[in-house]
This record gives sequence, structure tokens and C-alpha cells, in this order.
Amino acid sequence: MDENFEEEQFTGIIKFTPPLYKQRYQFIKDLVAKYKPKKVADLGCADCTLLWMLKFCSCIEVLAGLDICASIMKEKMHRLSPLPGDYLQPTERSLTVTLHHGSVAHKDPCMLGFDLVTCIELIEHLEQSELKKFPEVVFGFMSPSMVVISTPNSEFNPLLPGVTLFRHSDHKFEWTRAQFQSWALETARHYDYSVEFTGVGHPPKGMENVGFCTQIGVFVRKYPQASESAQFEKPTKAAYKTVFKAVYPSLKDEKYLQKAVVSEVIFTAQIIKQRLLDPLMSEHEEYNDDPTERKSKFQPSVSCFSQDLGKLVVEKGMEPFVDGNVVYIPLRTIFSFPKVNKLCGTFEKLHKLIAGKVTLSSDGSAVMFTTEHENEEN
Amino acid sequence: MTGRARARARGRPPGQESAVPSVGAASAQQTLPSQPPGFRQPQQPRVPPSVSGDPGSRGRQRGPQSVPQGLQISAGFQELSLADRGGRRRDFHDIGVNTRQAIEHVQESKTGSSGIMIKLTANYFRLMSRPQWALYQYHVCYNPEMEARRLRSALLFQHEELIGKTHAFDGSILFLPKKLGNKVTEVFSRTRNGEDVKITITLTNELPPTSPTCLQFYNIIFRRLLKMLNLQQIGRNYYNPGDPISIPDHRLMVWPGFTSSILQYEESIMLCTDVSYKVLRSETVLDFMYSLYYEVEEQRFRDTCAKELIGLIVLTKYNNRTYRVDDIDWEANPRCTFRKADGSEISYVDYYRRQYNQEITDLNQPVLISQSKRKRGTLMPGPVVLIPELCFLTGLTEKMRNDFNMMKDLSNHTRLPPEQRKREIGRLIDYIRKDDNVQKELRNWGLSFDSNLLSFSARVIQAEKILQSGNVFDYNPQFADWSKETRGAPLICAKPLDNWLLLYTRRNYEIANTLLQNLFKVTPSMGIRMSKATMIEVEDRTEAYLRVLQQSITPDTNIAVCVLSSSRKDKYDAIKKYLCTDCPIPSQCVLARTLSKPQTGLAIATKIALQMNCKMGGELWSVEIPLKQVMIVGIDCYHDTLSGKHSIAGFVANLNQTMTRWFSRCVVQGQGQEIVDGLKACLQTALRDWFKWNKYLPSRIIVYRDGVGDGQLHTLVNYEVPQFLDCLKSIGKDYNPRLTVIVVKKRVNTRFFAQSGGALKNPPPGTVVDVEVTRPEWYDFFIVSQAVRNGCVAPTHYNVIYDTSSLKPDHLQRLTYKLCHMYYNWAGVIRVPAPCQYAHKLAFLVGQSIHREPNLMLSDRLYYL
Repeated sequence: MDENFEEEQFTGIIKFTPPLYKQRYQFIKDLVAKYKPKKVADLGCADCTLLWMLKFCSCIEVLAGLDICASIMKEKMHRLSPLPGDYLQPTERSLTVTLHHGSVAHKDPCMLGFDLVTCIELIEHLEQSELKKFPEVVFGFMSPSMVVISTPNSEFNPLLPGVTLFRHSDHKFEWTRAQFQSWALETARHYDYSVEFTGVGHPPKGMENVGFCTQIGVFVRKYPQASESAQFEKPTKAAYKTVFKAVYPSLKDEKYLQKAVVSEVIFTAQIIKQRLLDPLMSEHEEYNDDPTERKSKFQPSVSCFSQDLGKLVVEKGMEPFVDGNVVYIPLRTIFSFPKVNKLCGTFEKLHKLIAGKVTLSSDGSAVMFTTEHENEEN
Repeated sequence: MTGRARARARGRPPGQESAVPSVGAASAQQTLPSQPPGFRQPQQPRVPPSVSGDPGSRGRQRGPQSVPQGLQISAGFQELSLADRGGRRRDFHDIGVNTRQAIEHVQESKTGSSGIMIKLTANYFRLMSRPQWALYQYHVCYNPEMEARRLRSALLFQHEELIGKTHAFDGSILFLPKKLGNKVTEVFSRTRNGEDVKITITLTNELPPTSPTCLQFYNIIFRRLLKMLNLQQIGRNYYNPGDPISIPDHRLMVWPGFTSSILQYEESIMLCTDVSYKVLRSETVLDFMYSLYYEVEEQRFRDTCAKELIGLIVLTKYNNRTYRVDDIDWEANPRCTFRKADGSEISYVDYYRRQYNQEITDLNQPVLISQSKRKRGTLMPGPVVLIPELCFLTGLTEKMRNDFNMMKDLSNHTRLPPEQRKREIGRLIDYIRKDDNVQKELRNWGLSFDSNLLSFSARVIQAEKILQSGNVFDYNPQFADWSKETRGAPLICAKPLDNWLLLYTRRNYEIANTLLQNLFKVTPSMGIRMSKATMIEVEDRTEAYLRVLQQSITPDTNIAVCVLSSSRKDKYDAIKKYLCTDCPIPSQCVLARTLSKPQTGLAIATKIALQMNCKMGGELWSVEIPLKQVMIVGIDCYHDTLSGKHSIAGFVANLNQTMTRWFSRCVVQGQGQEIVDGLKACLQTALRDWFKWNKYLPSRIIVYRDGVGDGQLHTLVNYEVPQFLDCLKSIGKDYNPRLTVIVVKKRVNTRFFAQSGGALKNPPPGTVVDVEVTRPEWYDFFIVSQAVRNGCVAPTHYNVIYDTSSLKPDHLQRLTYKLCHMYYNWAGVIRVPAPCQYAHKLAFLVGQSIHREPNLMLSDRLYYL
């Protein structure tokens, strides 16, 4: 939530740059960059800003958000959808983003198996009864490798003019460092986690004794999770409602991989064909430019492209050739191009992926193009 | 904007119109952080004789609300959760320009009557609402004042039993599909820390389904639905990324999608939706630059790059925004820094890494500049810097457009025949009907869409007879083409080729000679007297062509014909420039390739002979035009995308009764200059020339104005039309011709399908639609004049924005259709009246090749054909 907003507006003494909420998000991003979790859940994700920032982190493959208020999530959830660019150039990583509507006081199996669970400015919004169940749900049930909990440090409040009781009207409590730490240590002890304390929002000079404006506890599970199956045996049925789900296009998905390979193969083959035909064309068609111009026009392309090509051809005997109206470009040649190579990995895979999608010669060793209709129109 | 103005914009309770709005309300607005500080005042079109509200249709609306209210509310909605990204930026539909009310003779009816009835369906769906449906607009205020919008929402919706589940609330204005018991409702909510807040909900407006605010509201709701269907917004339309068509040869991806708009049409509010295709490219601007780099030599690289890229729309990788490339900054690179909103300096590399985890790998790439004219979020208007590596190209480049094979590939996918197009359009309604969430949302608002396309009766007006030198030709109206029928017939006016030049390169000697022989074969039957050309061999260089032209052209030269060996633009440009400005004589360039096929030699020679004849001032055919003393003006614009600075308007007006001779001029508009100033001068010269030809002035002037963008109608109505009137006044005190101004629009989303037997076909040429899908506030109609072989025919929209002619709609429609027969470069009916197409041709030639106004000596000939 946005209490930093009030801080900025009312104090004039304390102003955090960047704003405190950004510092909290940055803290999480740094943590993600350091530990590279694959599955991350944000509890109390509100308008999904943190999730939106996290979706750009390339290590994350599963992102989940949970909030008690569906309408806040829905407000901006569409920014978690894949962008046109994600479809235009699908990446290697897969990513699924899901939003759930529900309470952190309830268990739902969809929250199992996460590497990192973040609870940014969440616990102070919980009623006493909810707060009581919270450790069992997060640490006991979800039991991710790492949990991050942030909450206001009430010792800092006197420095925030305008704050009388709590920083935000919906807060049920605000803890001192001692209160938070004792709760956290107790929780960690009970569920076999270790915890370290830190924070964001440095106090002004001379007031260091009040501590960070936001206090943060980073919990790390001491022992590796028992086998995965054990988790799923936990007898729980779904308690959350899914309000949003987006599966990002990824090359791990055969469909997208095939599309990418086919399009790269055809594009590469087209370039080779063009290079092959260009000299032929200029012979029978009058390119009336003055000779100097033509030379410089064609040379850079020939040198940059065909030199590599020439090498390959000599080495492996996979020269593209023209036979009448048909151009043959050996698959081996195409496979030797870094982009194609990287996408497919093996030659067999390339063969498999383009089967039926690209016209091949009868023995399947070369891509075939007819040049007929081009000549007609040129 | 002051807090008070803002409060007004958000709709204030009735009864406070003149007084200061309630203090609470005003101050509440002031603190709302989301209001963009300087949001543009809605541009309210100022129609000259505007009367506030035409009675009848807006009867139920209360208070001072009329058109502006709707627009202002949308401004409020910009920050609303339900508003789509960026909200509404421009009124693309020209809502609120009510031109019909000033045209007396169409008050009762604007429909024509001649022709045969035809059953049509159109890509429109009726929006249905419950009987007695209304949208209720409330103003909500809090005491004590609550700032956070989220808190305001939360407090208000504690009373869901009162308000209901369906609502749209922006923190201050509340829309409900139902009426609350009282006009003013007071409720109390308690914040979580025990503070009691009084919420006053005041009914400010009861909006009938046709009110502009409601239309705005429908569009917002509809966009919400499209989003729920997981369609991606790109630009104005929505696309389905799930099932793209990929054209790997060119690294193109085509996303199918829909255009959609909900508007008040003649009889009802309807959703107009059409299939749209977005061409995207799976390569970044940087990829493109690289491949270009290898294609052109070093010193031409930057120019070529600029030429190919400037004007293109790019899509950024990291968010869903599109930008127009206005410039390339070769001096800058991604390591350059910029100042962030908080004042800190950061380099682009660091910014994109930090903000979006986007690694920029090429640190030497230039940056793209986009001049943003509007505010984007918190960014002030001004140049936006984009990194080529992080931008995808969209759309087609000039080079691609010229690639015949590629365009064929593309049109195979995108040009749908009527039956298939109808199916695709129906899919949107299917999606809507099948999606439970969408259905629920619609039901809650009490809205639904008709499941069938709109059907109605239209008319097909009579086909025209082609008159050519005493002969009358009928043609098959289905094909709208008479090239076969009139082949070899004598022309109305044939200009002799007594003294003409034929330039060719050595290699093309044979080709030039064959052309000459073929011309000798085809010209006699047309009535063209032809002597042997002065044949001149030239070296294949631009300067050689120019030198020969300089040396060989005499005052008696009729025309210069150049056989070009390649479609190199610079040579063509140089020849045209020289022969249109410095040495004004007609010229004909022809590609050797076009002439090289023996089978088509005669047909091509025929076409060339006709074209040359027109360029020298000859006349080909005519149609019967009963209206006398009428001057028809066609105007079209060409916008230079490369420099982005020049616009060129072509101006063409007939010189004679039969509309076979035309006066042509153009306006090259410099920066900051209004095109209309030039048009005035054009009109003056046109009238002077008319007088020279006819010895009297026309008693009617009908202007067909093409090249008007969406949302520019009010500029035309308020600025251009008065200027025309001014200009006419300046001609003479007693000169008072009747003036008609018609806006011609080719790019419309409307499609018509003719029901023929069980199948759907394109409506035949001559189909006129002036019911149902027209707009009640306009005097407008559609004509399908051309015939297409593939895909769906696009009707042309005609909007009569000014008319003192008292011509019956029927007559104006028929005259318009007749004019579509008069374009001499095509022996058939075209999409727009011939003068518009001539104006287009002229503007294009000047914009592409000549870049300044051609010599006026040529102005009585179609030298630009």
C-alpha cells in the first residue's frame, strides 16, 4: 500500500528518493537477481505492480499473486498479459502468471512449491485472527525456500508528521523492531527457518536509533523440502479463485518453436537464394547504373555474407545450386547459420520441425524454391 | 485547469450551474492525484449555425449537458479503471459536427429514390438495451474528505446492497444501470480505524441511450469486453495474437483482429466492426538496419535508413506502445543519458536494464526520435527517444509495398471474399456470446448485441452510357469496365503527334522501335494523326537524358517519350521535374520491361497512346451530364512522410460543360502554412480560366474534398468552407454561385454484402446507401462505384458538409456516380469522382518527384496522368 505517499506529502522533512515503495520493490528485485528463484508468489499483490516488475526477470518461470480484493487486482491485471513483442520473438524461458483471489489465512494447493514468497506491507493489514493463521499457511503449508516480509517500523512514526496512530487507516497494528523481530524469530523457529532483518528507508542523520522506516525480515528454510509429492498429499482443496492467467509464448512450447524455426529457415534460405540469383539477374537484366555504383552496391553484401558461405561450401560440399527454375539450398547450409543452429540444436531436430512446413527436395536434403513467378514480375 | 473547472468537467449536480460548486466537491477534485495537470480541453467542434441540441432526440437530458459533457466525462474516465490505456485522444468519429441542420433542403429527408432496390447486409450489429433503459450518473462526495481513490471506492462499495454490483466509478462520478430511490442519498461508512465518513450520492444526470455520454460509455465498456477476450490493443484496434499468420519470407506476422466503434447511426445505435489485419515484423529496427547496411554502400546507408524508417510505426518490446519514427539521431547511442522525472541522470542502457531487464547489446546503435504531440502518462509532450534494438517494426515499408510478390502473398491472407469476411466478422459476436464473463458484464448493464448483421434495402442506380465521338457504348455494369467496348473507337478530341521525341538507350532500340510501330498501328482508329518520332539514342544516365531533352525540345514539340531501362526513381524524378517546371511540355515515361512482351505489345501501345493524348490535352469519352454551368472541383492531399514537413494539395476543376477538360494546380504547403490559403488561390485561377473558356462564370460549384483525416471534419467545416465562401465573394459583388462541399472518404470500415441467392456477393457498381448506416446529423451517403475481382469492395463515403445548391439528394448521388466514370487513365468506373483521382495523381507526382509547383503553362492538360 501507499503510505509512502503520505510521507512525501505531509512531512517535507522526510522524503525518500526513490520513493519508499520503489525501494521495497527494488529490494525484492535485487533478491531475485541474487537467488534466481523460478517460482515467485506475491501475497497481497494489490494492483500487481511488483508482479509486473518481476515478470521482466528472466529467471522467473512462474509468477503468482494473491489478494483479498479482486477488484484492485483486476484494475491493472492486463499489464501482466504477454506483449506483442513476446509473441513476435518468443523467448526460451516459459512464464505463467496467475492471479488468485483469496485470503492468506486459507490454504490452497496452488501456492505449493514456490521458491520465493513475498509479503510486502501485508501483515499489518491482517486482523488478529488472520495474523494467527498466517504463519501456518505461509511457512507451514506453502513452505517456500524463502519468505520476505516487510512491515512499517512504528519507531519511525514520530518522524512522519501527520501520522498519529498508524500510517494507513487500514493498518491493524504497527510494530516496533522488537515486536516484529520477536514474532519473526518465533515463527522461524517453529517452522525451521532462519531469519535475517534489514529494511529500507534510512532514518535521517542523528536519528539512526529509530531504524529503517520499513523493516524487512528475510526467512530462509533451513532444510531442503521433503519430496515434492509429500506436499501434494497435504489434504487441501482449492480455496482461492483464479481471476487471471496468462501463459507466455515460449520456445519450450513446440508450437512456437516450430514457427520460429520454419520462419528462420525460410528467411535464411531466401537470403541465400537472393545472393545466388543476384549475379545471374544482373546479367540478363540491364542494371544501367554506372559501373562504379553497382560495384559498391553489391560488394558489401557479397563480402559479409558470401565469404562465410564460401567457407562452408568448400568445407562440407553443401553448395546451393540452381537447376532450371528451381533453387536448391541444402538444409545443412541452413543449419550452419547460427540462429537456426541455436534454435534447433541438432540437425535431426531441424528436420523434424520443418517437416511438412517447408518444401524440400525429393530426398529431403535441401529447401526448394521455384524462381519462375519472380522473373515474370521483375 | 482549476479545481473548479475540473469539478465542472466531472459533472456537477443540477441546480448549481451558476453558483460555485459545492466546496467539498471542488476541493475533492483538487487533491485527486491522478488528474493529469494539463489535460487538453475537449475540442468542441464549433459548427457555424449551431443551435443547442436538436429537439426530440435529447429530450430527456437534463441541465446544460450537451455534446461537450460527453467528451469531458471521458476525460474524467481516463483515469478510471475501466478506461482503456490512454483513454480517448481524438474524436475519430467526428461526433458532434452537425452539418445537416444547416442544409435546408435535406431537413425532411436526405434519401434518394432512383434505381432498383437491392437487399444488403452490412457489418453492423444493433446495440439493444432494455426498454426504458437509461444510464444514471451520480456525483459522489465525502465528508470528511477522503483522498485516495481506492479508499473512496472501498468506502462507497461498503454499500453494495444499495448500489449494486454493476457500476463504473472514477472516484467522483458514478455510473449505474439503475436509479437509486432518492435523488440525493446519504450513507455512512466507517474506515477501518473507526472514522465515520458521510457519503453523499447525488443524481446529476439521467442519460438516455442515445446521449453522447452513453455512446462514450458503450465504447469504454466494449473495449473492456475486448480485453476480457484477451485481444491485444495495438493503435486503435484489437488483435488476436494467439493465431497469427506468418509470412516467413519477409519476416512478417499478420495478426487478425477487429476494428470496432459504437455510434449513433440513422435509426439506432450500432456496433460497426470489421476485420482488420495488423502487419507486424518479427525483426527489430536494429536487425533491419543491419540487413540494410549490407545492402547499400556506406555513404548511402544513413539516407536509405532514414528513407525506409522515418514515418514507420514501431512497437516497443517492453510495453505495448506504438510510436512513429520521426527522426534518427546518429550522434546519440544507448550510453547517452537522460534526466528522469525525479531529476537523476541515467543512461538508456541502465534505464532499460533496471526498469525492464532489457539488455541492450549493441552500444553503438543510433537512437530513434519520436515527436510525441500528446502527453503520455507523466511524460511531457516532446521528443521520445527509442532504442532500435528494443523496437519492432510494424507495417510495410515502401520497398515491401513495391514488392509485387510479397503484396500478393499478403493479400492472399488478408483479402477476404464477402462470404468469408462476413464469417470473420461474425466471429467477434460469437466470441462475445460465448464468453460468460463478457455476457455477464453486458447483462448487468442491461445491454446486448443483435446476433445478426444489419439488413436493409438500398438502391442500384442506372448504369451510364459512355459517349465517344458520336458513338454510344453500353458496358456490363457488373464489371464496370469498357476498355473492350471502346477499343479502336475514335476519341472525342485527338491531339496530333506531329513533332515528338522518343528517347531510348542503345539496348532498348528494338523495344523503342516496336513501340513506334505499334503506335502507328493503333493510333489511326482513334483519330490521332501521327508522324514518325524523332528517335534519339541516349546513354543510360540521368544527365544524358536531361542533356538530350534540353537540346532537342523546341516550342513545337508535342510530347517527349522516354523508354527507361529500370524503375530507378531518381531518373524518372529528374525527367519529370525538368519537363514539368523548367521546360513545360508533356512527357511520357515507360519502362522497357513493360514493352518487352510481344503478346501485349498492342494493348500497351493503345494504353500509352490514350495516356499521351490526355497529357497533350486530348479528350477520350464522356457521360451525359444534365447539370449546366457547374464547376466540379476535386481536391486531394499528399503528405510527405519522409521530411514530414510538406503537404501537397492537388486541385482539379473542369473547364468545360462535358467535363472532359480539366484545370489542374497544386499547392505546396510549407511548414506552418495552412493548405486552405493555397486552395483559395487555386479556386480563383480556376474561375478565371473557366471564364476564359466559357465567357461566363459557373452558377454552381461542387467541391469534392478528399484527403480529410478522421477527426478533421470540424476544421473543414469551420475553416475551409468559410474560406471558400470568402474567395467566391472576392470574385465579384454580384457573383453568388451555389456552393456544395462534399467530403470524400475512401477509408471507411463499412462493408456491404449483397444477398444473391444463398451466397453473399459484393454489391454491384452503382449501389447507393443513404439509410441505416448513415449518420442522422449528417447529409451523407455511400456509393459503391467500382468493381473488384478479389476480396470485398470498399464503399466510398460522401458527406455533404455544406450545400446551398438545393439539388435533390438523388441528383447529387447520380452526379457523383457519373463523375466516377470520367477518369481517363482507366476505362472503367473508379472509387472516387475523377477530379479527386486527378488531384491525387497530381499531388502524388509533385510530392514524390517534383517537390515544387509545376509550371502553370501545363495547367489545362492532364500532364500528370
